[in-house]
Amino acid sequence: MSDIILRTKNLGKHYKNRWAAQEIDLEVHRGDVFGFLGPNGAGKSTTIRMILSLITPTTGTVELFGHDLFKKREAALQNVGGIVEKPDFYLYLSAYRNMQIAGSLTLGKTPDDKKINDTLGIVGLAERSLDKVKTFSHGMKQRLGIAQALLCDPQLIMLDEPTNGLDPQGMKEVRELITRLTTERGITVFLSSHLLNEVEQVATRMAIINKGKMIVQGKVEDLLKANANKVLFNVEPVKRSMAVLEKIKKVSEIAQTDEGIVAKVDGKMIPAVVNELVKAKCKVFSVQPKHSLEEYFLDVTTES
Amino acid sequence: MLNLIYWELFKTYAKWRTYIGFIAVGVLIPVIMWIMWVEGGKFIQHQLRSLQSEFLITGNLFNGWVIAQLIMNGLWVHVPTLIALVAGDQLSGEATSGTFRLTLIRPVSRTRILNAKYIATLIYTASLVIAIAFTSVGLGLWIFGTGDLIAFDKDGITILPEYDLYIRFLFAYALAIWSMFVVASLAFFISSFVENAIGPIITTMTVIVIFLIISNLPVESVEGIKPWLFTTHMNVWQQAFRDPYDWEKIRTSVLALGANSLFFWAITLFIFRRKDILS
Repeated sequence: MSDIILRTKNLGKHYKNRWAAQEIDLEVHRGDVFGFLGPNGAGKSTTIRMILSLITPTTGTVELFGHDLFKKREAALQNVGGIVEKPDFYLYLSAYRNMQIAGSLTLGKTPDDKKINDTLGIVGLAERSLDKVKTFSHGMKQRLGIAQALLCDPQLIMLDEPTNGLDPQGMKEVRELITRLTTERGITVFLSSHLLNEVEQVATRMAIINKGKMIVQGKVEDLLKANANKVLFNVEPVKRSMAVLEKIKKVSEIAQTDEGIVAKVDGKMIPAVVNELVKAKCKVFSVQPKHSLEEYFLDVTTES
Repeated sequence: MLNLIYWELFKTYAKWRTYIGFIAVGVLIPVIMWIMWVEGGKFIQHQLRSLQSEFLITGNLFNGWVIAQLIMNGLWVHVPTLIALVAGDQLSGEATSGTFRLTLIRPVSRTRILNAKYIATLIYTASLVIAIAFTSVGLGLWIFGTGDLIAFDKDGITILPEYDLYIRFLFAYALAIWSMFVVASLAFFISSFVENAIGPIITTMTVIVIFLIISNLPVESVEGIKPWLFTTHMNVWQQAFRDPYDWEKIRTSVLALGANSLFFWAITLFIFRRKDILS
């Protein structure tokens, strides 16, 4: 079997007068934590809905584990679990019953008690398994959503904004859970989010989508290399500092921004550059690396 | 498939709204029985006044069978509302609550999911009619005793012997279930393209009322379409109390009702398989 477990080609969805998603070519490799990034309304959920067969695409194909989703739907989705947007459940039933229903749809038979309880234990809901879901907080529903996605030992889980509405502690727990799933259980995670910090912390590969079109795709470290060596100088006075930096040979691409001065500098050169600034009686308040995912994301989405 | 049907039934019977119909039947039928008991057969005496002037009538004609048949006559227009209440929620309820996002991403075809829901809907429909049957016949026989049945209809009165009534009532309720399947199928179909449960209930009842009016219009210009309306055949259960049975009429109605149910199921399947889940 190919190392690529999810592949979309020219995937698109057209509504009456607009493309919600267009020409989406994704490749998710086994073992990836694949970050799927985009601003709100970029087409992330539409893409996920097409991959999980909730929406019929206007164009393109989806291949999961080597099976064409539209020709061999059952085989294609056999090893996939997911949450699409907010997890919704049968509120009048217990968490346990909801898990039984979700599991029986995948397995063709009701999953055994131990399996359900073990899976609820992973997300910390074992003790609340018999409570009706309508009594659950949003965070608990999110965790139950992850539990139902994990129930039938999927090899790929698709998580659409899994930390939406969670408090910082809840977000941290979900991030840790995602890391555990990949490292301990070898599960490939497709993580859609508009929270860049979240993706930056866990993703190995990523794609960025904007206005329905995919802009870029690749390994996170490779994509961020493009922005490597960029440094933000928070200095005063700005004009004099700019003049000093321009005189230093190994400093290039100097630009003034709202935050301060951004320039390309080799990391080893930073102490020497700071020394020059201080010598010129410039006040150096901070020097920060500028190769975060946020910077990269803003760069590519603004360009597009 | 059995597992899917089991869980669809589980979900259906775990909902409060499913029991509204049973509660209505459980309250309404005893109330009717009580009124009949208090009235003491005045109704029957009124119905038989002309008959008694020409025939000598003996025995208990105000019995449980008569009451059960009267209840059936009175409720068959109202029961569709109770059926639509549940059938109209089967697909739209899941769309509203967002649970399609939980179920339709699973490796099971939409056809199988829809069929399991449809079968669960039909089982609920049958269970409601059976509840009416047990309550009205059971309570009727317990309170008013047994005897021959005087069956009233627009053609006149038929007196059916007591020994024949168990099978006739069984047949009548089977036909009633069959005709209520059309109502369930219609509500189920409407629930496939809306995202709230109220719409299918109101639309189903509106369709039934309009069709019933057309079915009963004594106007020549609508005679041609009457056989095609399911409401024309919905009272086929009354044929169980004709003597002799009019098999031709029963066969025509059963086939027409079956064709309607099949039609509604087929277009529901067509819509559901292509439906984009956006909620």
